[in-house]
Parts: sequence; C-alpha cells; structure tokens
Amino acid sequence: MSSTVYVDRGSSIHRLNPVTKLVAMLCIIVIVFALPVWWVSGLVLAVAIIPAAVVSRCGRKLSRISATILLPILVVLFVVQGLTFPGGKTALISWGVFTVTSEGLHFALGIGLRLVCLVLASVLLVLTTHPGDLMSALTARGMSPKFGYIISSTLQLIPAFRDRANAILLAQQARGLSVRGSPLRRIKIMMPLLGPLILGMFTDVEDRSTAMEARGFGSTARRTSLVPVPDSSVQRVSRWAMPMVSLAVIVVPFATGAL
Amino acid sequence: MPHSTNGADSRRARNIAFVILGALIVVATYLYLVIGRPTEIADTSTSHASLIAIGGYVVGAVFLAVGSIHRLPTTTVALIPVAIALNIVVGQIVSVIGLPVYLDSIGTVLVAALAGPAAGVVTGILTNVIWGLTLSPIALPFAVVQVVIGIFAGTAARWGMFRRFYTAPLAGLVTGVVAAMVSAPIAAFVFGGATGGGTGAIVGAFQAMGQSLLGATTLQGLLSDPVDKAITFTVVALLLIALPARFLQRFPFAREHRVFGRTGPKATQTALAREG
Amino acid sequence: MIRLDGVSYAYPDTVRPVLENVSLDIGRGTIAGILGASGAGKTTLAKIIAGFIPHVDGGELSGTVSVEGQGMGDLQLAEAVSRVGLVIQNPFNQISGARYTVREEIAFGLENFGVARPEMQDRVGEVADLLNLGPLLDRSPYELSGGQQQLVAIASMIVLRTPVLVMDEPTSQLDPAGTRMVFDVLSTLRGAGITVVIFEHKLELLHQHADVLYVLADRSIVAAGDPTDILADAHLAEWHIGSTRYTRVARAAQKRGLLAGLRHLPVSLEQAVAVFADDGGAR
Repeated sequence: MSSTVYVDRGSSIHRLNPVTKLVAMLCIIVIVFALPVWWVSGLVLAVAIIPAAVVSRCGRKLSRISATILLPILVVLFVVQGLTFPGGKTALISWGVFTVTSEGLHFALGIGLRLVCLVLASVLLVLTTHPGDLMSALTARGMSPKFGYIISSTLQLIPAFRDRANAILLAQQARGLSVRGSPLRRIKIMMPLLGPLILGMFTDVEDRSTAMEARGFGSTARRTSLVPVPDSSVQRVSRWAMPMVSLAVIVVPFATGAL
Repeated sequence: MPHSTNGADSRRARNIAFVILGALIVVATYLYLVIGRPTEIADTSTSHASLIAIGGYVVGAVFLAVGSIHRLPTTTVALIPVAIALNIVVGQIVSVIGLPVYLDSIGTVLVAALAGPAAGVVTGILTNVIWGLTLSPIALPFAVVQVVIGIFAGTAARWGMFRRFYTAPLAGLVTGVVAAMVSAPIAAFVFGGATGGGTGAIVGAFQAMGQSLLGATTLQGLLSDPVDKAITFTVVALLLIALPARFLQRFPFAREHRVFGRTGPKATQTALAREG
Repeated sequence: MIRLDGVSYAYPDTVRPVLENVSLDIGRGTIAGILGASGAGKTTLAKIIAGFIPHVDGGELSGTVSVEGQGMGDLQLAEAVSRVGLVIQNPFNQISGARYTVREEIAFGLENFGVARPEMQDRVGEVADLLNLGPLLDRSPYELSGGQQQLVAIASMIVLRTPVLVMDEPTSQLDPAGTRMVFDVLSTLRGAGITVVIFEHKLELLHQHADVLYVLADRSIVAAGDPTDILADAHLAEWHIGSTRYTRVARAAQKRGLLAGLRHLPVSLEQAVAVFADDGGAR
C-alpha cells in the first residue's frame, strides 16, 4: 500500500539486481547529456530503452506515465523555444509578430529528446524495481540505513497522510465549505485543513522514534537483511562494464575530433 | 561504545570532507554555468552546460546529504519522513487547487528550524528523490534547490529568525532569491526553460524581450521563489507556535539556539547541562 | 532482576515531577502487572525501566535503576535496548515503515542487531507461530487492523529475545481472544525465564497470569503484592483503578444485605462462587 508506481510483472528486468538497473539508468542519462546531439538520444531510445521496456512488459504503463509528465513540457519547449530562442535567425514560418526559427526548433529537439530519455529511463527503473529492494540493495552496499528508512517510511506515510487530508477536506465540504473561489478564499479554507493534519503527524514522531530505538535502529552493528538481493556474476561484470563503455562512448568522439 | 574513538574521529572527518566537497562542487557548478560562460553560446544543446548542470548539482547534493545524515539522531530521522510527506502532499494539494505558489518546502524548512541545517539538507534532497520515485523524475535535477533551502532555513533558525513574525518572511525572501538563482541554470540548460506551462510562458516572454535563456529563467524564478519562500517561512513560524512544547523539547538544536522564543534562557541552559 | 530504588523524575523544563520515590523489585521469570489510572505516569515508568529516560528524553532522573545488577544509566541506549524490550502503547506508531511486509517488519530489529539470515528466518517463523501471524506474513503492516498491528508490534519485540519485556497496554486494540492469546504467550515466555513488566488494566487477566501487582497512583507506588490481595484492596477505587466484575457483584450484594461480614471480596470466578455458596449455606 505504498505510493510507488511499481508493478510486479515478474519479467527478467524485474528480477535484475536493483543496483544493476540503477547503474544502467545513470549511464543512459550521462550518455545523452554528455553527447548533446539529437540522434544520440534517438539511438539510446531505440537500442536500449525501448527494448528494455518491451522485455519488462510495462510498456503501456511506461508510456502513459511518461506522456503525462513529458507532453506539457515538450509542448511548452517547442512553442517557447521555436518562437523566442535567443539564437534564432532562420525564419521558417512567420505569422504576424510570431516567427518560428529553425535554430529554436533544433534546440528544442535536442533538449526534448534528452528529457524523453531521462524520464523514460527513470520511470522504467521505478516501474520494475520495488523501492524496498532498491533500498536493501543499496544499504547492503554501504549506504547509510537511515536513507533507506527515510525513503521507505515516507513512501508508506504518504498514502496515510493523503487519507487524513481527504477526510478533513470531505469534512469541510460536508460543512458546506466550497473549495472554489478566489485564491485568498481557498487559502482560508486550506488553513483549518492543514493545521490538525500536520500537528497530528508530528506528535506521532516521538513515539515512532522510541519504537525504532527499541528495535536497535541506533545500533552500530553491521546490518543484515532478511531477504537476499538477487545477483549474478554477469551482472557484477556488467555493473563495471556499463560505466566503462559509457566513458568510451563519451571520450572517443572527442579524441577523434568527430564532435 | 563498541567502536574506538579513533574510528569515530575518522568517520567524522570523512563526513566533514563530504560536506565541504559537496558544497564546493555545487558552488563551482553554479559559477561555471553563470560566470564562466558570459557569452551564452547560441546553440546550447551542443555544449556541455546541460551535463555540468545536472551532473555537478546532483553529485554535489548527494555528497552534502551523505556527509550530513550520519550526525542525525533517531528522533530527527523519524521526523524527516513526516516532513517529506508534508512537502509532497501540500505541494500537490496547492497545485491542484491552483494557488500561484508552490509551498512544497514547508517540511524542509520546519525540519531545518527544529534540527538544524544538516537535517534540512537530508530532508531537501530526499524530498526530490521521493518526488522522482512517485510522481515525476523531472524533480531529481532540482534536488540541490531543496538542499539550499535546508541550509538557509537552518542558518536562519540558528540566528533566531523564526522567533519574530517580521524576520521569518525576511529570511524566506533571501532564501527565495538564492533558490531562484541556483535553480535557473537547471531550468535553462536541462529543460530549455520549459519546466511547466505558466513558467514556460514567462520564460518565453523574457526571451522575447531580449533576455538570454539563463537570464530569462533567472528572472522567472525571481518572480515566484522569494514570495513562495516568504510564505513558507511564515507558515513554519506559525507551526512552531502551534506544536506542543514537549515535542519541540526533543530537538537539542532548537533548544541550544532558542529557535522559538518561548523557553527562557535559564531553563534551556539547565536542560543542556543535564544533557551534556 | 529489575530494581528501582527511590526513583524520581521530572521532564525537561518542568518543575513538578511525574514520579516520586518509586521503588520496585521484580524477580527473574515473573510477570509483574502495574496498575494505574491514565495520567498516573505509566508510560514514563515504562520508559525509565527500558532506559529511554534519561537517555532520550532528558530531564531530571534521581535514584537508581538496574536490570540484572547492571545500572541502566551506565549503558549506551543500544546496549540498554538489547537487555530490555519495550512495546509502546500505539501499535500504528510502532510500525517502522522501513519494511513493506509483516515478515520483514518483524525482522527489522534483528537486521539492526546484525543477526544472521538463517537464524533470523527461524526466529521470525517461531514468533509468527506463537502469535498466529502466519497468514499475515506477506501482507503490508499498514493494511492490517489495529489489533493485528498490535500483534505484529508484540512479535517484533518478542523476536529480539531480550531478557526483560516492558509492555505498555499491549492488548488495548485486541479482542478478548487475541488478549487471551497474548497473555498465554507471556506465560510461555515466563516459563523460559523472561521477565515481563506489563502496564495493563484488564484486571481479571492480570489476576490469572501476573505473579505480582503494583499500583501506581499519586506519582508513586502505593501498593504492591500478591494479585489476589491487591485486587481485593478497598482503596482501588480511590486510585481510580476499578475492580473486577466479581468484586463489583459482591459489593452490590453487600449493599443489599448479602455476604454480611465478608472482609475479603472475591476477585475471581472461583472465589465468587465460593463466597456466594458459603453465604447461601449460612442462610
């Protein structure tokens, strides 16, 4: 009942070690941002992200989530940069005071495809990796258990928090208060909503910290984990190989003067 | 203690090194992006500005968080999830209702006021990590902005600026100006100014008036961030009054620096002496 | 085993102490029940025995607290909690949030103390059997009812096998069957040499299971001794403790002229049957 978008489709991507997926995602992002030409992003999309999405059987959900995130950004990006890009010289279409420049569109295409890669790669990671597994894997690798605790705990608190907010909002509406009207009026309605919600959540903190200490959270012992993290020697090698390949992909074009 | 004092010392030194390194990377990134490129290359998409912006800020923010988290006691660690949930839920409600502010850093500022800048840094970066995990990964490159808010809010608390109603919004204004300046290169070089509908239109308007892309995103940020943070800091000052005294007592930082003016200096000192 | 000598405590920045001159001496392998009205300082006393006061809460603690001859004030909190387990009152707040299934939630403490995986699996399975949690192991702790969460909270502490277990109203959200199960488990633990300090107001169950009862009122321990004697004490009402239904029936009967001259009112079904049988026989 956590607030993540993880879907368990049991694919081979799902079964990978979470750190392997994290490294792959970071490599993809570094490549598309280090080689800022639009076709590099297109190539990464075609040979890495889309095949992985197909194998993961999460393609539909991935495209739905990513489209919701990306569409507004891309539309604004192309409109704003197409019309007002400071380096725009070559006019493509002119319509009254508005002029679309090819430099502006080219700039928007470069940024836009990069953002598509960034969003698709990270949403795919989140869709195929349970946050608890990601945290266990990273904690096993030396990340402070406090990070894992905060992230997992927040993910499970948000639905509880939202339920309380909705309950209070419904109560306000039942008392005949409308959530429409001017911003000032809406703020007036927000305040009595936020007050009790926030205070209640904060006063629980004392209890929760006592309960965590009682279960050894402050212990300096080396943590163990009930559920083992899946791994294989192929993955262990690829976690080193992927950054190396990325580095080569980035450095070689410069060394040979191709870019 | 099971570990030797030596081990504790070296760990402490390592954490401080992480914090210093992280801060240096963030500052260097900003300076490189803003001052190091006085003439903005027209075709930014073929420059390395975007990689530097995303890489420098993310790596810097991660170092700051890694160096900060070890010094946090369990009470603070238990507080942070509530604060992050507050950031995210209120931020979402506000955007759904359509108020012209973000209010997505109330939790970060509250934690920084209660438990200090280090706690604010951790809350800030993890807010964006969780935002990235649940809602949209475009929050991730902006993690450093919440980190800056955490540091400034913690420092403002240390200086007692949450004690009075006119100093809290003042601290918020200053924080907002810095936040706007730090986030502008990300908005410009990573997103091409298009972080949202309304903000994108404003960036476009500034560009049409002859501003560079970075200039336009900076001005856009200056329009909204200072007001937003002034409101946020004021809300936190109100929350500090509303929270029960016994809860506030759990945070040595708040006691030591008398973040809220209620407990007399004498009582605070005896409490500290007992803890000592 | 657990000794408190002249313990007084005031929270930070408060003048009025919550507890004054509290002394206890609880032997190994016993179940000690502590009775007290709400606000009598039960949660504070629980935290003192478990070492959270003064380690975490600060404040002014005087007197001595020792467990197995070891002064709790001299220990680091991490060491203190490995000797004394604490089940807090609100089970929702005891869920760590760090784990996504009941199985992992129960194991959370074991992970923190660095227990090896095979042993962890054995221990989790064992307490799950003990408290009937088997069918819930793969569910999210947040999806459970309050009573189920309370059982998970108890399981998460029992699994640590601390020699002492302090429980603050551990059955408040449980139905009668669940409550009986918890008390039966506590009796089993006592058999294994574990000392249980339970803050509870279910008097009849305390009478059945506790070896000794203490009454906390007016910031101090006002009565201590055998459960049968304590529960029959005429002062219980003054201390806002209430009394068992058998005692109440006997008292009502006395008001109507029955059980005349009876000094020790019954506190259990057997005693009630006996006194009424005697009374009927006397007529």
